[in-house]
Amino acid sequence: MDKEKISSLILAELEKNPDISNKELANSFSVDVNLIENILKSLSDTREKILLVDDEVDALAALKVALEADGYNVVEALDGLEALSMARSENPDVILLDIMMPDMDGFEVCKQLKSDAQLNMIPVIMLTAKGEVDDKVEGLEMGADDYVTKPFNLKELKARIKSVIRRNLL
Amino acid sequence: MWDKQNKWNLVILAVIVILIVGSIFFLWMKANVEVRDIVEEQYLSEQLVLTQYLSSSIEDMLNENVLLLEVISKKESGVPEDNFISDFKTIYEISDIYHALEFVDKNGTVVSGYPAERVPYGYNLYENNRSYSIDYVRDTGQIYISEPTMMMEEMLGFFVFVPVFENGVYQGSVVGIVVADNVVDQFEVSDDSIKLAYVIDDDGLILYDQSGFYEKGSSYFEYVGDSESSRLEIIDRQISGLEGNGKYPNTLSEEHVKNMLISYSSIDWYNHQWSVALVSPEDEVDKIIVSVYIKLFTVAALSVLFILFVSFQVYFMLMHWNRSLEKEVEKKTHELQNSNESLVAANLKLKELDRLKTEFVSMVSHELKTPLTAMKTSSEFLREDTCDPAVRAQMLDIIIRSVDRQTRMVDDLLDISRIESNKMRYNMADISLQETVDHCLEDISALFGSKGIDIDLDIPDDLSLVYADRDRLIQVFVNLLGNAIKFTQEGGNVSISASEKGEFVEVRIKDNGPGMDEAQLEMIFDKFYQIDSTLTRKVGGSGLGLAITKGIIEGHGGSITVESTLGEGSEFILLLKRSITEK
Repeated sequence: MDKEKISSLILAELEKNPDISNKELANSFSVDVNLIENILKSLSDTREKILLVDDEVDALAALKVALEADGYNVVEALDGLEALSMARSENPDVILLDIMMPDMDGFEVCKQLKSDAQLNMIPVIMLTAKGEVDDKVEGLEMGADDYVTKPFNLKELKARIKSVIRRNLL
Repeated sequence: MWDKQNKWNLVILAVIVILIVGSIFFLWMKANVEVRDIVEEQYLSEQLVLTQYLSSSIEDMLNENVLLLEVISKKESGVPEDNFISDFKTIYEISDIYHALEFVDKNGTVVSGYPAERVPYGYNLYENNRSYSIDYVRDTGQIYISEPTMMMEEMLGFFVFVPVFENGVYQGSVVGIVVADNVVDQFEVSDDSIKLAYVIDDDGLILYDQSGFYEKGSSYFEYVGDSESSRLEIIDRQISGLEGNGKYPNTLSEEHVKNMLISYSSIDWYNHQWSVALVSPEDEVDKIIVSVYIKLFTVAALSVLFILFVSFQVYFMLMHWNRSLEKEVEKKTHELQNSNESLVAANLKLKELDRLKTEFVSMVSHELKTPLTAMKTSSEFLREDTCDPAVRAQMLDIIIRSVDRQTRMVDDLLDISRIESNKMRYNMADISLQETVDHCLEDISALFGSKGIDIDLDIPDDLSLVYADRDRLIQVFVNLLGNAIKFTQEGGNVSISASEKGEFVEVRIKDNGPGMDEAQLEMIFDKFYQIDSTLTRKVGGSGLGLAITKGIIEGHGGSITVESTLGEGSEFILLLKRSITEK
């Protein structure tokens, strides 16, 4: 069953019966109790959510740990298609997008994000190992909000994430 | 096809050609007429000279012959005893023109003569009323020549009377009978018998005729009509003792009227005045001109033929030369084209290499920066935070993995650089293939174990040792098997088999992965090539693995090829040198 659908069903059930336990919820929707716990946990999470898109597992893991330690809620995607579907389901506050990825590269993902009415408000920061000016121009023309060159300084990246989120709130 | 412009051009061209041909023809005709006039004039003057020669010769001969008679008649002794018979005999024998010689005494009777059979002895001139001549010579003492007389032998003759005086007293006359035919026959009038001669006296009487048209002794005027003014004029001039040339139409020729060219000259012989004429048809001149023209045309034709021949020789020589030049140019052009094509191909190849290199550099940059990013992020995080030991261990693992990955990348780059610059050193030895493969499988057991891939090993126990660098061979197998495992789905199958092929050992590594199409097969051993484009790699890797593998195998003196069917899998076939020392 769709995670979003379950989320809305759980919320409706909780409104009717505020004292219902996780187990009872799991039984009523016939799903695993852990899933209910996860959903509840994410629903109650008020941290700003970052969608991290990169095909390199190690880079992804290191950055995730670093950003989580800074108080962000980090969700990951390993390729472009996954990134697009997660952008829809997770509704992140910012997307960190690697350019070099298999199947669909970062430019294409950015283009699709910006042409989607539901998603084009989400700020996008492009991450790339390439440092050429051409890439920067291409990235910005696709509608990327900022640009960070690998290997980046962690502090600088955090500052840029903050600035992009703040700018988006205005 | 013919437009108006062309039509007009054609008409103008035709008019010009007609004008040129017309004027050439006109000039040619004019020149022809002039040439004819000149030749005719020359011909006539030559004929006149001949006529003059003839007339003077005849005149001289006649006078000389008369002189002979004069000589014997002027003897001191008067009339000799034999009445001149011995003298007559002598004269008759040396002269050709006398028919007979006679002596007529003062009474007018023929008393002697020679030859005797032609002498009418006793014939008295007085009795026969023919005394005018002897009376004349007796009275005047002058030589007298009678009018032409037809004699009994059908010959036209003249009687030459020379008086004989003794002490101033007339003793008689010596008479010479001259036959007209004999006179002119003495001369070869013309060698070609085209020029015909006739002689008339001052009354127009025909004395001699070579043509046979005119009867001897008849008057020339009988043969000339009143309308033939030009001919009459010529005869008038002849009778008047003039000399010159003339032209008249020949009415006697029945076939067609042709002009005759005539030259005439006078003969003065005592009381006679004759005129000798040479006549030739006008077409003699044409014949001369034609013969000249024929010679000219022959020379011209031969010249033209010679010029044509030489021209053709030159033309063919030039053609040949031209053709050989063309061939040469064609050859050079072909060579240039070939070299141009190879340059273009080389240029394309260079461009492609350049593109691959740029791609490679960009990819290497990505590959080197990616682990750096992970390391940097992890290490910066570790420095900032006091985190729990589990997270710390995770971060340190990331750092170590990244360092390993970068080390591999740098190793690969060094290998490819060594292979390219031929600086790869191989530690060659006889090694067992079985052992090497086993070692290699141990190294990568984690990889295929995690994907649940079966490895089928088929290496005969008695297989020859191979002559190779053990570590490099392990590197090759790790690479090939790694690829096979990478591209094979979970639960797939990879097989390794080996057999001897002549002086080589053949090793086949087969997977049942996705396979490759022909375009991919062509390029997989190229450095920097990856099946998927740089931006969309699925499997990762430097793109150098197969290039390094090929470099190492070829560095060993072996070879590597690949066979593949899309959707069914790929098979790499290695040929490695067998050990030379041992079977």
